[in-house]
Amino acid sequence: MYFIGKDMDQFIQQKEYVDTAIVPLLEVDLSTEGVKRSASASEYLQSLTALLEKQFKGRILLLPPISYAKKADRERIAGELGEELHAANFKHVFYLTTDAAWRTIDSLENVLWLPAIPIENMDQRFRNSVMEDQLRQVLPLFTKEWTKPS
Amino acid sequence: MSNNRVSRRQFLGYTLTGVGGFMAAGMLMPMIRFAVDPILQENTAGDFVLTDQAVADLSEEPVRVDFAYEQVDAWYTSEVTSSAWVYKEGDKIIALSPVCKHLGCTVNWAADPEHPTQFFCPCHAGRYEKNGQNVPGTPPLGPLDEFAVEERDGYLAIGAVKANSLI
Repeated sequence: MYFIGKDMDQFIQQKEYVDTAIVPLLEVDLSTEGVKRSASASEYLQSLTALLEKQFKGRILLLPPISYAKKADRERIAGELGEELHAANFKHVFYLTTDAAWRTIDSLENVLWLPAIPIENMDQRFRNSVMEDQLRQVLPLFTKEWTKPS
Repeated sequence: MSNNRVSRRQFLGYTLTGVGGFMAAGMLMPMIRFAVDPILQENTAGDFVLTDQAVADLSEEPVRVDFAYEQVDAWYTSEVTSSAWVYKEGDKIIALSPVCKHLGCTVNWAADPEHPTQFFCPCHAGRYEKNGQNVPGTPPLGPLDEFAVEERDGYLAIGAVKANSLI
């Protein structure tokens, strides 16, 4: 489900079934040399999470991308987000990001770090197949987490 | 012949009327054509979307067929990719919607090794028979929807979603 008003009605009613949150973490770099790469990574991350949402609509809540500046204190973001999500009783939380800085932060579980693929110059058909491919690599991580005895 | 003479004045009159008439018609025709265009607009396609799946390649085993169409949300037009599970039952082509009737996840054919002849929803382990009938005891409460299908020059075209007609 998307984080939109319409989906929230269903979310509140079916809360027992929607036990997983997906949090895209997005670094915003507006410097002349970094803006293109940052925007492209954002496009990639949002396409991928949208595909995930389509596949697992009934079990996940896709939050809007958490955007932060280059020099943001990631430890602090991790702490605050984790607390909020924990209070909301999500059984599983996945963080998806293309920002390598998250790999060193241990306080978050299930951080899926993905190298961004520049998809902006691909034609629609090729882009779809590339994204499907990416999706296929991520899907097993979800099913594995769900079937893991807790 | 000679007693029916056409005067110079008459000749010029006829000629100018004729040429003027043609010019007026040439201008008015496209304008009328544009004016009535919405009426002439063919809608027989019924919003069928042509896919690149050849009908001859279909078998009794469901395959995933992707198709894309344009969707307009207020002022924003986007291309939406959707898919269907398509198989042949005798000569009839059947296209089922992959949207789980429980909470809207995408179901897959034979995704669960324990039930290789059923559709499986990975979210809450919902299952459907090949004809879309939901398996009792699993979360879904209704059968999978069906798409209207058409064959066009040997290729499959997919239309609107309707309630499952196989059950």
